[in-house]
Amino acid sequence: MRLRSSLAGLLTLSAVITACGSTTPEAGDKSEKVAISYAIWDKNNQPGLQQVIDSFQKKHPNISVKLELTPWDQYWTKLQTAVTGGAAADVFWMNPLNLPLYAKNNVIAPVDESKIDISGFPKAVTDGHRFGGKLYGTPMDVSVIGLWYNKELFDQGGVKYPTADWTWDDLKAAAKKLTVPDKKQYGLLSTMWDQGVFYNTVFQNGGYIISPDGKKSGYDDPATIKGLEFWTDIVNKDKYSPSAQAMSDSDGITLFLSGKMAMTFGGSWFAALYKANTETGPKVDFAPLPKGPVKNAAVIMGITNSVWAKSEHPEESAEFARYLASEEALKILSDSGGASLPALTSAQDGYYKAFPGYHLKETIDASLPNGVPFPVSLNTAKWLAVQEKLLPEAWSGKRPTADVAKDIAVQMNEILAKE
Amino acid sequence: MSRRWLVHLVLLFGGIVMITPFVWQVVISLQTVTESMRTPPSLVPSWQWHNFVDIFKTVPLGRQFLNTVLVTVAVTAGQLLFCSLAAFAFARLSFPGRGLIFTFFLAVLMVPGELFLLPRYEIMQKLDWLNTLQALIAPGIFGAFGVFLLRQFFMSLPKELDEAARIDGANPAQIYWHIMLPLIRPGLLALGLLTVMWTWSSLLWPLVVNTDPEQMTLSAGLASLVGQYLTNYPILFAGSLVASLPVIVLFMVMQRQLIAGIAFTGSKG
Amino acid sequence: MLLTRERAAAKAAAPPGRRPWRDWLWGYALILPMALGLAVFYLWPIIQTFYLSFTESGPFGGEEWVGLANFTELFGDEEMLGALRNSLFYALIVLAGVPMSIVVAVLLNTPKLRGLGLYRTLYFLPVVTMPAAIGLTWRYLYNGEFGPINWLLSLVGIKGPFWVSDPEFAIYALGIVGIWSSLGYNAVLFLAGLQGIPRHYYEAAEIDGAGRVRQFFRITLPLLTPTTFFVVVITMINALQVFDLIYLMIDETSPALPGARSIVFLFYETGFVQHSRGYAAAIAVVLLGLILALTAVQFRLQRRWVHYE
Repeated sequence: MRLRSSLAGLLTLSAVITACGSTTPEAGDKSEKVAISYAIWDKNNQPGLQQVIDSFQKKHPNISVKLELTPWDQYWTKLQTAVTGGAAADVFWMNPLNLPLYAKNNVIAPVDESKIDISGFPKAVTDGHRFGGKLYGTPMDVSVIGLWYNKELFDQGGVKYPTADWTWDDLKAAAKKLTVPDKKQYGLLSTMWDQGVFYNTVFQNGGYIISPDGKKSGYDDPATIKGLEFWTDIVNKDKYSPSAQAMSDSDGITLFLSGKMAMTFGGSWFAALYKANTETGPKVDFAPLPKGPVKNAAVIMGITNSVWAKSEHPEESAEFARYLASEEALKILSDSGGASLPALTSAQDGYYKAFPGYHLKETIDASLPNGVPFPVSLNTAKWLAVQEKLLPEAWSGKRPTADVAKDIAVQMNEILAKE
Repeated sequence: MSRRWLVHLVLLFGGIVMITPFVWQVVISLQTVTESMRTPPSLVPSWQWHNFVDIFKTVPLGRQFLNTVLVTVAVTAGQLLFCSLAAFAFARLSFPGRGLIFTFFLAVLMVPGELFLLPRYEIMQKLDWLNTLQALIAPGIFGAFGVFLLRQFFMSLPKELDEAARIDGANPAQIYWHIMLPLIRPGLLALGLLTVMWTWSSLLWPLVVNTDPEQMTLSAGLASLVGQYLTNYPILFAGSLVASLPVIVLFMVMQRQLIAGIAFTGSKG
Repeated sequence: MLLTRERAAAKAAAPPGRRPWRDWLWGYALILPMALGLAVFYLWPIIQTFYLSFTESGPFGGEEWVGLANFTELFGDEEMLGALRNSLFYALIVLAGVPMSIVVAVLLNTPKLRGLGLYRTLYFLPVVTMPAAIGLTWRYLYNGEFGPINWLLSLVGIKGPFWVSDPEFAIYALGIVGIWSSLGYNAVLFLAGLQGIPRHYYEAAEIDGAGRVRQFFRITLPLLTPTTFFVVVITMINALQVFDLIYLMIDETSPALPGARSIVFLFYETGFVQHSRGYAAAIAVVLLGLILALTAVQFRLQRRWVHYE
């Protein structure tokens, strides 16, 4: 009867599992103990935010906060399903791209502005957290796009490091010198990435993605097309970048970390990621983006902490969201040297000190005045999907960039018309 | 003599093709990113053991490992119990509607799993079971395949067995538990091993239903590892080795039984 | 044969002279848990999915009856047609691996083969490995720049493509992994089938002076057809439901996606990324129709080529 006893054992075990698998917080006195959850997508912010949570819990012993990390790839999918299913985190990261959709559907709760002072934050950042004039999340960080470069390759190629007054021509000239096909070394990565790469050149060339009134796509604008062609030329004509297919086989960050890529556009928040790589991390640095034919421009974006409208503990969640925007919390976050640069200038020092090897302060200070918010409409994800579906044809050189861009404009205008 | 040589040659060549990806995985998991992107590829590990430490730091891999073990054990136990109960009834008891109900069971086998996904998700939502292990366990316990498989085993037992037991005054539950179950041990073992294999690896449902990394199983955890490490292969491979090794080891130990079970599904299917 | 056995079992279970209703109760009681589970987690979802396929859902829940609109849209949807094509083509490639597993099984069936255990382990390893892990490994092997496969090809002077980033090659790349990971499973099934062929057929053939090759085509293959039929049907059904490999090997932004996206992948994207549950349900219903239709065709065709003893 060995089978019987082992089966019985299994059954007991499964009973235990069901018991400990349950995550519902104890339904005790509501005023006594409250457990809320907080969802984020960047693992590099995990340690810093945990410290912030610890400090918050000390101040509010009745509230316990659980940090939930979901990688970017799955974050939005999961958030949307969770919200639909009534199982979202009480407080979660939100970005300007998705905020309008969530705010319009009353999924996130507006912030009571009488209880928080946000005057210390840059308006360009907090405006991204507004919908219909109302603030739908407390500001936390700001990120800018800059030029990451590999100093070792620059030294080897005898090229001067990038400076704030570089132009497109300087960038291309350096990329040319630093491309060594025999060594599979490339000058400039042409990643098919909107926020980090091609929107920047579009704006630098005076182009636009969506008209100020939100009604019309800018993809058929010649200035926009030229901003896109900058990158499709780099990859297909000049060949300063690995091919679109190679860039799909391996992602830009990993390629840059392999030490064979001289330059790449990238976010300020990559600092934490690069620093963690002991091999290539010490060899790289950060500089402002080059000036385009028309103007200086760099996409800036900020993460905001939104409270779920159906949270069972709206008071406590709002309290926590407000705390996340306090100078005290942002200083803790800043000092931890995670991925996030606090949007509050007075709290930024710690962050910069955490990355002594990189010229973050200089670059960010120089870039913020040129900051352009990420273009959004009500349902940004819809037309971003169109862009994502069609642009590979341009990047892989299958069709002329201008044709692809015009196709995107047509489809995007249809979507915008329905909003 | 020479023919045997040829047989070995072909089998060995195929075997190398089979094993090479695994060898590569192990080697790369012990290299740095730069080394993993070298051409020509190098098969020399530089013993970067910290890759195996790093994954545990950034992903709750230990927790996911435990989740996977718990879910697999619970699902397998449930399958064995409920499938054998139903299979016994179908094979050894007669009751009105038996054929019809069994046909319904078989019909379920024909339906692709995707058809269940959206409504099951809604069920879990309503039960407030999203992001819990029971969301992974409950649907996994039930399945028509096991009933079908075990029914074949029960039917192969001689009818004199029940007759004798009934004369001794045993009821069907006693016959099931004391007489029949021990005799279909190979069938239970086959079903158990197959269930372990399938549950351990399943991706789509866990991916959809459990979004909190703390409640994920390894398969979904591996997918989210890609979200964080992109194409940083040394780290990814360290993770996938940790995730897939237990079932590989189980297979090495129970190879005969598993293969016998699969062969059985083929011959009786 | 199945039926007669069933009757025998039924007879054994209810010897004459006994009141049958006790048995009836026991029967119902024993199948009850499983029947309930199947009703909740299988039957109800099927009905629900059919219902959903006639609705359109909002971004955060709620649905609206739209009749057949999802289906009419589906059949003009380029992505759906592409996914249908990809899934069918993938299934065909994986089916091409079936003869390979017959060969492996025949070789493994060599009498008194040394190292049988080792070979079996090697061929079966991919079967027990998590598909997610398999996908990652092969994604690396397939890398266009530094992947070992293209390196091997370069040794013989071939410049390999970007296997998983080129829409022309991605489906073949996936298919090869599909074959690789199912070869051992199928070989085991065939091995069992081979061992079920009575020795005397071969002995008779040897007396007739038939060579090994002739024996293979005259005896082995025909007598193996029931197994072959089973393997073909199972392989086809599994291949039509491919998801894990694509999810792990090809990114959402990959230029290869149009050439690799399977029906189930599209279902996942639609239902759980874009949250159009109604449309996703319609995709699932079409998949069911496809699988049932193809299986029915297989069963019809089997009369022409499957030999039952």
